[in-house]
Amino acid sequence: MQWSVDVSGTHSANSVLLAGGLCLILLTLSVPMLPATAQGQTPGQPLPVNPDYAFPNRETPPGVDVNSASLVENANLWNGHTVSFKGETIGEALIKGNMAWIHVNDDPYMEKSAAAAGTLSGYNSGHAIWLPADSARKIGVFGDYRHQGDIVKVSGVFNAACPEHGGDMDIHATSLTILRSGHSIEHPVSANRGLAAVGLFVLAGGLYGVRRRTKLMGL
Amino acid sequence: MLVRPRLNDAKIIGLYTGKIIIGVGLLMLLPLATALVFGDWRAAVDFLVGIGACFAFGLAMEVLCRTRRDMSWSHGLVVASFSWLVAMALGAIPHWLSGHFGSYLDAMFDVMSGYTTTGMFLLQDLDHVSHGVNMWRHLLTFAGGQGIIVIALTFLFRGTAGAYKVYVGEGKDERLLPNVIQTARAIWLVSLTYLVVGTLALWATALWLGQGPVRGFLHALWIFMAAWSTGGFAPQSYNTMYYHSLVYEVISVVIFVIGSFNFALHWAVWTGDKSEIRRNIEVMSFTVTLTITLLVSTVGLMQLNVYPDVMALFRKMFYQVASGHTTTGFMTIYSRTFVRQWGTLAMLGVTVAMAIGASACSTAGGFKGIRMGLIFKALMQDVRRMISPESARVTEKWHHITTRVLDDSAVRAAMLIVISYVGLYSFGALVGVYYGYDAVQALFDAVSAGSNTGLSCGVASPAMPAPMKVVYIFEMWAGRLEFMSLFALGGYLIAMVRGR
Repeated sequence: MQWSVDVSGTHSANSVLLAGGLCLILLTLSVPMLPATAQGQTPGQPLPVNPDYAFPNRETPPGVDVNSASLVENANLWNGHTVSFKGETIGEALIKGNMAWIHVNDDPYMEKSAAAAGTLSGYNSGHAIWLPADSARKIGVFGDYRHQGDIVKVSGVFNAACPEHGGDMDIHATSLTILRSGHSIEHPVSANRGLAAVGLFVLAGGLYGVRRRTKLMGL
Repeated sequence: MLVRPRLNDAKIIGLYTGKIIIGVGLLMLLPLATALVFGDWRAAVDFLVGIGACFAFGLAMEVLCRTRRDMSWSHGLVVASFSWLVAMALGAIPHWLSGHFGSYLDAMFDVMSGYTTTGMFLLQDLDHVSHGVNMWRHLLTFAGGQGIIVIALTFLFRGTAGAYKVYVGEGKDERLLPNVIQTARAIWLVSLTYLVVGTLALWATALWLGQGPVRGFLHALWIFMAAWSTGGFAPQSYNTMYYHSLVYEVISVVIFVIGSFNFALHWAVWTGDKSEIRRNIEVMSFTVTLTITLLVSTVGLMQLNVYPDVMALFRKMFYQVASGHTTTGFMTIYSRTFVRQWGTLAMLGVTVAMAIGASACSTAGGFKGIRMGLIFKALMQDVRRMISPESARVTEKWHHITTRVLDDSAVRAAMLIVISYVGLYSFGALVGVYYGYDAVQALFDAVSAGSNTGLSCGVASPAMPAPMKVVYIFEMWAGRLEFMSLFALGGYLIAMVRGR
């Protein structure tokens, strides 16, 4: 006797859909199994401290100065602490009603941007700050290609995974002080580069002429 | 016996490479225009240098390599792989001149990352970069997603004889329409339509979030380009976390998930066959593997109690895993958060998601859903064979645009590519471990580079050793071209040395 187990594409698709559905059900079922700490309480302290970066202890006073790298590297330890954070405001203020988001970078470029300084020191680093819109409006200049932003000092509560903002890592600011106003950045044009561009276009034009002539000659 | 390539072979490769590089020069016109509109004269001059170099190189190739010989399949494959390297070297000129890169190698890294829609970057001080450079970064990834070759096919190639061969060499083999140039244009039609709709949706959200109209528009356009091409670049160093908006995240997820689908699927839906979505093997495969990797990451995050509530956990976990699985690379967390908060299990969930990737003939990288589906079906077929009587004829079918019977050659081809990817990922990870990085972190970033994802846990950085940068460039290039073009280029080089 010949058996024919002929599985059509549609049947296979259904079985795959069934498998996917089962996984989704499992995912849903797993939610009530979340530990209490994952359902709205203080996050745990699961990973060991990174001793290369600052971390708080019992004697750490509220409002202690801290940098962005330490906050990321030892996020769980800093969670809920009141910290002070200094850096350059970049981008823009995203104002929503009475509150606003700003971004403050405490990297080496806060003093002088890469293009202006001519030196490089790695990636940008900073933190998102949630603060009253009125405070955000005090900021005169935000850093971008043409501007060095205001240098500000922010004090507030650090959240490793903010319950109010979908788990974002942020600082809820209670105060903002503008330490130094921002300014515009000059980007002078290099004459050598201009000459190089002209030279390359002349060369390309010449080559285009040669190509056209060889085409006309049928070569 | 290996046959040494003749002068005419080199001429064919040079001629088509030249045409593609002229295409790269034409692409630079858009960032040049952006720089001029915003009065960024220094950036404008940098782009003029880049355009001049591309035109000069391309035209020189056309003059030196004039030939009437037709292109063969092997030529097409070699052109595809070689032209990407030349495009990387010349496309890096404006990047290097911008002053934001530590070395020319770093600039080439970012260009390859853009072309291959990876999204890793070594650019420093991104938050002070000009609009022109940002436009170039995102245009690179958008154009790379469509395929540089597709662009050249659309605008520069007159005949279709050789065009299809280069097109296939770039890792795309779907013919939506009988003519490959029509296919290339169809890809553009679909992409540009989504570009308008997606950018408008993101722009409206940006205005609601408080961005100004000009910055909001530019950000919307760039985020669309990066999402649609599953690239992962963003105009600010905070990536998509910058917007702190669930709406912005949802829109970007919709764009990058749609962008990660096969162009043939897009075309089927575009032309009215909506049932293809639920029948297509890649959609099914993607649904299952996404769910599994979401589960793994959820368990990992639950173990460590990272997030304060279920909604926060789901929002963060889903975004990073979906971004990884579609090989996009957008992040709403800091790179080091993977290591310092997410932990090993959740990271492995994301790593597996990145390794699998999304659909073939799309902008996504990784093993691809179609191969996972075929291998899974082959496994099921073998299991059925084992439990069936010896005389039973066990057949398995799979559906991608048309329904086909599963045969050994398709499974073998899928396995070959998957094994090549595993080798590529392992190579990158081993190099990372050799340079002293933690194994899990080295694997995470190596898989990210090889699958053209762009998520990083902090290994990829301007400070990493130069040989690792070269390895990552190789991974991005090999992963994007899916190996066949690479093998062809390798074979060509060997034949040059050892052929007769």
